[in-house]
Amino acid sequence: MKEKLRFIDPHVHMTSRTTDDYQAMAAAGVVAIIEPSFWLGQPRTQVGSFQDYFSSLVGWEPFRASQFGIKHYCTIGLNSKEANNEPLAEQVMELLPLYLHKDNVVAVGEIGYDDQTPAEDKYFRQQLELAKEYDMLVQVHTPHRDKKSGTIKSMEVCIEHGLDPGNVVIDHNNEETVEEVLNRGFIAAFTIYPHTKMGNERMVEVVRKYGSDQIMIDSSADWGVSDPLAVPKTASLMLRSGIDMEHVIKTCYRNALDTFGKSGRMKEAHWLDNTGVDQRELYNENSVLRGQKPKVDTDKIV
Amino acid sequence: MQHSDIGNDLLTIIEQNCEEDSKNWFYEKLGAIINNQSVREFYLTYSLCNIKFSGETLSGIQKSNGDFIKYLLQHGISHMQLARIALLIRVLEEDSEFFEEKAKNLIQVADKGELETFLRYLILLPNSQNFRNVAVEALRTNITAVFDAISQNNPYPSLFFNDHQWNQMFLKAAFMERDLGGILDIDTRANEDLARIISDYAHERWSASRKVDPEIWRPTTNFLQGRLLEDMKRLFESNDPDYRSAAALCCYHSNKEEARKLLNEYQDLLIDIENGTINWENFKN
Repeated sequence: MKEKLRFIDPHVHMTSRTTDDYQAMAAAGVVAIIEPSFWLGQPRTQVGSFQDYFSSLVGWEPFRASQFGIKHYCTIGLNSKEANNEPLAEQVMELLPLYLHKDNVVAVGEIGYDDQTPAEDKYFRQQLELAKEYDMLVQVHTPHRDKKSGTIKSMEVCIEHGLDPGNVVIDHNNEETVEEVLNRGFIAAFTIYPHTKMGNERMVEVVRKYGSDQIMIDSSADWGVSDPLAVPKTASLMLRSGIDMEHVIKTCYRNALDTFGKSGRMKEAHWLDNTGVDQRELYNENSVLRGQKPKVDTDKIV
Repeated sequence: MQHSDIGNDLLTIIEQNCEEDSKNWFYEKLGAIINNQSVREFYLTYSLCNIKFSGETLSGIQKSNGDFIKYLLQHGISHMQLARIALLIRVLEEDSEFFEEKAKNLIQVADKGELETFLRYLILLPNSQNFRNVAVEALRTNITAVFDAISQNNPYPSLFFNDHQWNQMFLKAAFMERDLGGILDIDTRANEDLARIISDYAHERWSASRKVDPEIWRPTTNFLQGRLLEDMKRLFESNDPDYRSAAALCCYHSNKEEARKLLNEYQDLLIDIENGTINWENFKN
């Protein structure tokens, strides 16, 4: 059953992951991922570090993903933690417009609050204005501490700036926040973390209670303890727990596609029409292989 | 391919081929950028070409309009790419002193598709030799589409790369299993250092029991002596007809008498070359 399903992980930091993860994700049915720009653990001190990181999200990482047959999209923004370094934040804000129109950028993100400081608030609002000017979706990171009020505040600020809640994904929800998010018409994303926060058993109960409209599941896998297979694993658990197939498809694939597809840059055809990994595409247009079988991952240094 | 009025020629192609809305938007932006020296507008316009122009391949223009148009068609330029290149060229033509550094910044933050476009049509830019560092930087990529944009059917490397850069490109193309026949001016840019490197590379591959693209030998043609001549003998004795053909072509075109003598021992191949059955142009067919 699981093999027949396709998955989208709408929040995963592949920059911090290995090729083993890409292989495992592809094998588990993940066809597309969205990589939000975020904090790298070590605070950046130069705007050039941001520039190269953003360039990597629109250049090298999509290529790396394509080698494993996975379509890579990203969201570009100034994360909340680093918004607190104001001199640097000012320079990053100048950089953002150069990236928001790149081919694989599907939203402004992940932006929002961490400690809910005035600086975080300032750059969150500026980026909401930027999203409005560029008519883009927004992916909102909600704080780990003081979560519920931080989540509500994030939504109120989005409304205050005139954003359509249907174009805003509120991420890292839990049982405490989901109702407010859905009631206000925002999209609720759930991060399935091993051990902490949302485990996938809890997610099953959320879907049982709230259904699958406006809800999507992601792994947020990064450099910490996390599981890049969280989406397919949760889908599998949902099916075994008797959740309808329709809910599984919506929360693990369709809602992410419908939401981020509004950007015009994410299309199902990108993976449905894909002939396979990069080497096979090259095989079609390039005579270097001269009729031999294309080599896939065997004779190529990536 | 470079001539003084490329910018206007490109605008003519845009005028004749692109949608009314796209054109009007483009002309207005171009005027504003040039009149106000506006970097912000320049970046924004470059970026928005993505949305304002279609990604469809340009078709239906006369091939007879000169070399550079043939070049655009050969590479299947899209409306959007055409607009971006026209923009770059027009602003550089107007004020290269001001816009050259800005254009370089834009390239610095390019995504894969933008970088491909830029590298492929680099040759058309005014003072395109000033962008050599960007082109050489592209050689370091492992992203095949970007590497191909500078190395395949592109006259830029042959015109502006030094031997070291040229050799680096050729070897990397082999290493990445690209079509070596797609590199332009292989014969004129051949050099002794490259010939030696090719032999070293082949020996390494053979030691690891891996295949070597037979076309890699072409630049060794005029350097066939010593170890390279031994390499030719090894190729002639191979069971792979492509290896034998490659050796025959190298020896046939070589200015080294010993190499031509060696080919005489393989009359079947000599005949095939003389009657045109094998040559570098049809090599991969």
